[in-house]
Amino acid sequence: MNLDAGITGIIMGGVLSLPVLGIAVIYGMTGITNFAIGTIGVFCAFMTWTFFSYGTVVGILVGLATSFVIGYVIQWFLLTPLSEKGGDSTLFFIVTICIGLVFTGLTRVLFPRPNISLLLPRMGTVRILGVTTSGLKIFAFFFALSVLFLIRLSEKHTNIGKSWRATSQNLKLAKTVGIDTQHVFAWASSIGCMLSFSGAVFWAALYNVSLMSGWDLTFLGFIIAVVGGIGNIWGGMLSALLMGMVMSYSGHILGGMWQSVVLYFIVILVLIISPRGILGSERSL
Amino acid sequence: MNEKELVLEVSELTVNYGATSALKSVDLFAHKGEIVGLAGPNGAGKTTLLETIAGFLRQKEGDIRLFGTQINEFPVLKRRMMGVVLVPQERNNFPYMTVSENLDVGGIINCKDVNKRLIEEVYQLFPVLHTRANQLAGTMSGGEQRMLAIGIGLVSNASILLIDEPSTGLAPKMVTRLFETLGSIKELTGKTIVLSEQNIGVIDIADRVFGIEAGEVRFCEKTEDLDRDIIRDLYLGK
Ligand SMILES: Nc1ncnc2c1ncn2[C@@H]1O[C@H](COP(=O)(O)OP(=O)(O)OP(=O)(O)O)[C@@H](O)[C@H]1O
Ligand SMILES: [Mg+2]
Repeated sequence: MNLDAGITGIIMGGVLSLPVLGIAVIYGMTGITNFAIGTIGVFCAFMTWTFFSYGTVVGILVGLATSFVIGYVIQWFLLTPLSEKGGDSTLFFIVTICIGLVFTGLTRVLFPRPNISLLLPRMGTVRILGVTTSGLKIFAFFFALSVLFLIRLSEKHTNIGKSWRATSQNLKLAKTVGIDTQHVFAWASSIGCMLSFSGAVFWAALYNVSLMSGWDLTFLGFIIAVVGGIGNIWGGMLSALLMGMVMSYSGHILGGMWQSVVLYFIVILVLIISPRGILGSERSL
Repeated sequence: MNEKELVLEVSELTVNYGATSALKSVDLFAHKGEIVGLAGPNGAGKTTLLETIAGFLRQKEGDIRLFGTQINEFPVLKRRMMGVVLVPQERNNFPYMTVSENLDVGGIINCKDVNKRLIEEVYQLFPVLHTRANQLAGTMSGGEQRMLAIGIGLVSNASILLIDEPSTGLAPKMVTRLFETLGSIKELTGKTIVLSEQNIGVIDIADRVFGIEAGEVRFCEKTEDLDRDIIRDLYLGK
C-alpha cells in the first residue's frame, strides 16, 4: 500500500464530498435532482476569483452570497412552481441541465478567462504517517467533515432541522402543521449551491477550475451520491471517500488513463449489487 | 338559528377531478365549539371536502369563509395561521421521525410551554404513544399510527380541526375513548372539530351531522333530531 496515494485519495474524496453533500441536501429535501449545481458552484468560484484582488475573504464572501442567491432564486421561481405543476424527474433532468448550461454560458460571457486557479493560503505543511501534505488540503477535508456533522446535528436538534426533515418526509402534513415549505425548499437549494461552491473553491485552490469543470463536479457528484444512497448524507460522505481512494490508487497503480475505467466499473458493480447505494436512500430515484 | 359565532361556512362548493365533479354545490357550516360530523359511504366526497377546506384542492365554484373572511384563494399555510389544520386520512405522520419528534413538529408554530402541555395531554390520552415515544412513526402499527395522527392534530392547537376518519383501524374501545376525548376537548377549549366518519358512534358526540352521498349533501340535522336509521341507510346506500 502506498500511503501517499491513500492520503491524496482521502483529500480528493473530502473535496468531492462537498458537491455530493449539496446534491444530497437538495435531493433529500426537495426530491429534485439538480444537475445545475456544479456549474453554479463554478460560476460562483469565478466570482470569487474576480473579487480576489479585494482580499481572499471578500472574494469568498462574494462567492458564497452569489451561490446563496442563485440557489434561492432558481428554487423559488423555477423549480418549486414546476414541481407544484407536477413536473416529473425527466422534466427536472432537462430543466436543471438547461439551467446548468445557462450558467456555463454566463461564465463564458462574464469572465475574461476560461480557467482559473485560486491562490489560497497554504496553511503550512503537515506530516501524517510520514507523508507531507499542505495544511490547506487537511483543512479542505476537515471542512467537509464538519459541514456534514453540522447538518446532521442541526437536523436532529433544532426546530429548523426538524421542520426540514418533516418537509422531506411528508410535504402535505408539513404544510398543514404550518411549516413554510416553500422557504425550506429555497434554503435547501441555497445550501446545496453554497456547498457546491465550496467544493469548486477547494478544487480551484488544489488543482484548477475551467468552464466545463462544473459538469465534472455535477456528474461525479451525482454518481458518488447515488453510490452512497442518494439523499443519504452519511452515505454520500463515505462514498466520496471510497471513490477518492479508488481514483487515487487506480491512478497510482495503473496510471491516470485507467482511472475512469476502474472508477466507473466499480460504480456499476456497486449499483448492481446494491441498487439503493451503500447505505441506502430514504427516497428512491 | 343559534347565536354562536359562525366559524366555517362553505357555500355552493363544486370541486372537480378533471372532468368529473366530486362535490356538487355543497353547503356546510360549523359554529364555534361545535363538532360537525360528515357521514357518507365510500367515495361520497368527504375527503375531497376536507382537503378543499384545508386548501389542498381548489374549488371550481363556490365560497369558503373562515370567521367571515372569504379564503377561496388562500394557500394552505395562510389557512393554518388562521387556525385550520387537517389530519389526513392517509399518510398522516412523518415516517422516519420518532413519535416524540412527530409531536414536536405538530406543534412547531406554538410556543414551547404550550407545546409541552399539549404533548403531555396527548400522552395521557394515548399512553401507548408515550411508551413508544422513541420509536420511528413508520414502524408503528396501523392503529398506533392513527393515534399519532390525531395526536399531531391535537398538538397543533388548531381552532378548527379537520379530521378525516379518525376511527378507522382503532379497536371499538379506543373509538369510544377517542370520541369522549374529542367531546371533552371541545368542551374545554371551544375548538371546532369537523370529522368525517364511517362509525355511527359519531352521533353521540357530534352536534350536527351532514350526510353526503355522491358529492351532494343529502341532509343536515342536529344530532338530537337525527334518526339513526337515516345514517344507516346512507352508509348502506338504502
Ligand atoms: N385524485 C383523484 N382523481 C380522480 N378522482 C378522484 C381523486 N380523488 C378522489 N376521486 C374521486 O372523487 C370521489 C370522492 O372521493 P373522496 O376521497 O372524497 O371520498 P370519501 O368520501 O372520502 O371516501 P372514503 O370514505 O372511501 O374515504 C370518488 O368517486 C373518488 O373516486
Ligand atoms: Mg375519504
